[in-house]
Amino acid sequence: MASKQPQEPVIGDGSLHVGDRVVYPNQGICRITGVSVKQIAGRDWEVVTLRREEDGATVMVPRGKVMGIGLRKVADIDAIDKVFDLLAAPGNDPQLDWKIRHRENADLMSGGGLFGTVAVLKSLHALSRVRPLPQKERELYDNARHLLVGEIAAAMNIPLHVAEDNLDYALWPPPGMKRKGQVLPPATLGPPAPVVRAAEEEIGLEEDEEEAAPPPPVAAEEEEEEGEEKAAPAPPPHVPKAETPRAKAKPARHPRPAPHPAKKAKPAAKKPAAKKAPPKKAPKKKAAAKKAAAKKTKGKR
Amino acid sequence: MIRLVTLSEFPPDVIDFIARRVHAAYGMGCEFEGEGEMPSGALDEEQSAYNAVKVVEEIDDDVALYADDKILYLTREPLTAPEGPMGRGPVDGYAQYGGGKAVITSHGLGEKGLPPLEVGLAKRAAHYVGHLWDLHHCFDPRCAMHPGWSPGFAAYPDVALCLFDREKSERKIKLGST
Repeated sequence: MASKQPQEPVIGDGSLHVGDRVVYPNQGICRITGVSVKQIAGRDWEVVTLRREEDGATVMVPRGKVMGIGLRKVADIDAIDKVFDLLAAPGNDPQLDWKIRHRENADLMSGGGLFGTVAVLKSLHALSRVRPLPQKERELYDNARHLLVGEIAAAMNIPLHVAEDNLDYALWPPPGMKRKGQVLPPATLGPPAPVVRAAEEEIGLEEDEEEAAPPPPVAAEEEEEEGEEKAAPAPPPHVPKAETPRAKAKPARHPRPAPHPAKKAKPAAKKPAAKKAPPKKAPKKKAAAKKAAAKKTKGKR
Repeated sequence: MIRLVTLSEFPPDVIDFIARRVHAAYGMGCEFEGEGEMPSGALDEEQSAYNAVKVVEEIDDDVALYADDKILYLTREPLTAPEGPMGRGPVDGYAQYGGGKAVITSHGLGEKGLPPLEVGLAKRAAHYVGHLWDLHHCFDPRCAMHPGWSPGFAAYPDVALCLFDREKSERKIKLGST
């Protein structure tokens, strides 16, 4: 027994051992296969060798940096239970400022903590309900989901598929799903309307413009709508196909053309003013006629 | 190649419909391979449903797989899965992530709130083949990888992948060893 102790290499703070399953930040579940010495750039480095379970790739980490990069043991069942509590809890409003969001998410992911990954997944999931995610954040969402599913499966010793289904039972609860005796509100069809339109509605621009504009004739409105459709800029690339079903679901959401009658009504309002101008000139004509009449009288004299 | 194996009786036109939809979704060949039987050992304790994980692990068939071939088993029997941290939820199939075998059921299709048999089964087929290519669930309700119990499953019967999942599956298929 005493002879075996010196052979066991100390990894990190001593809590990690050869054969342990660990989580490598942004890489997933790995197994420590050993500690060896590698000559790199003419220098001997003592490295901890890990084998990624997903694809069998070998990862080597300098022994002195094991704790610095965030390598940690796979979470225990209590931690996983807290993860599901967090996932099933009603979410906060998503961070809409992309710079703050990007910085926060990058920090949480590089930290490699379990709850950091949960926070990233939950915030991006909440954002996805409001509007489609940009490509980079869609990748981040998928990466966070991948890491979380892997860790849940490893911690609870269940297949990956069962782990992901359970994760989504919390995020998209099916009817009647309970968490610790409390019934979760069932998932609804999303994502709802884009934020930009919602913001316009909150400000009440459309209502103001509708109130300000006199009700134009139906034919004119149709013409203006057609003109607007031609002049409107192309929709963003990630929206296009979504529009048809959404339009079917909420036909009342079409009042976007409403502003234009108001905008185009302004020039129409100016026209009468232009027509009113000629009457001012009329006196000049009268004066000219008087002058001509005076000339005629002079000529007669 | 994606091979379809039936564990219950399905009309040929339904199988043909599924094969065409899966082919369109992944750009891979998809064909009917043959018939099989549900392993009796996969019945759960209450004898009311089959444990989907055991079905995939214990099934005995003669289908020969080459490189990245995938097998999709189709059944009409109700399926269940091991209890997880959230308890038991609806189960319409099971797939070995990044593996070669998956099973789906038509149980419940055609009932109130769910699409008809061929459409629902084709969408489930595309979903579980996606898991075989390492795709995760998607938040887009129009995507075939959206969770099957969500209202989006019935609301959007088209068998289509979102742009992200399509590109990811294409990358995985290109990197495959076939």
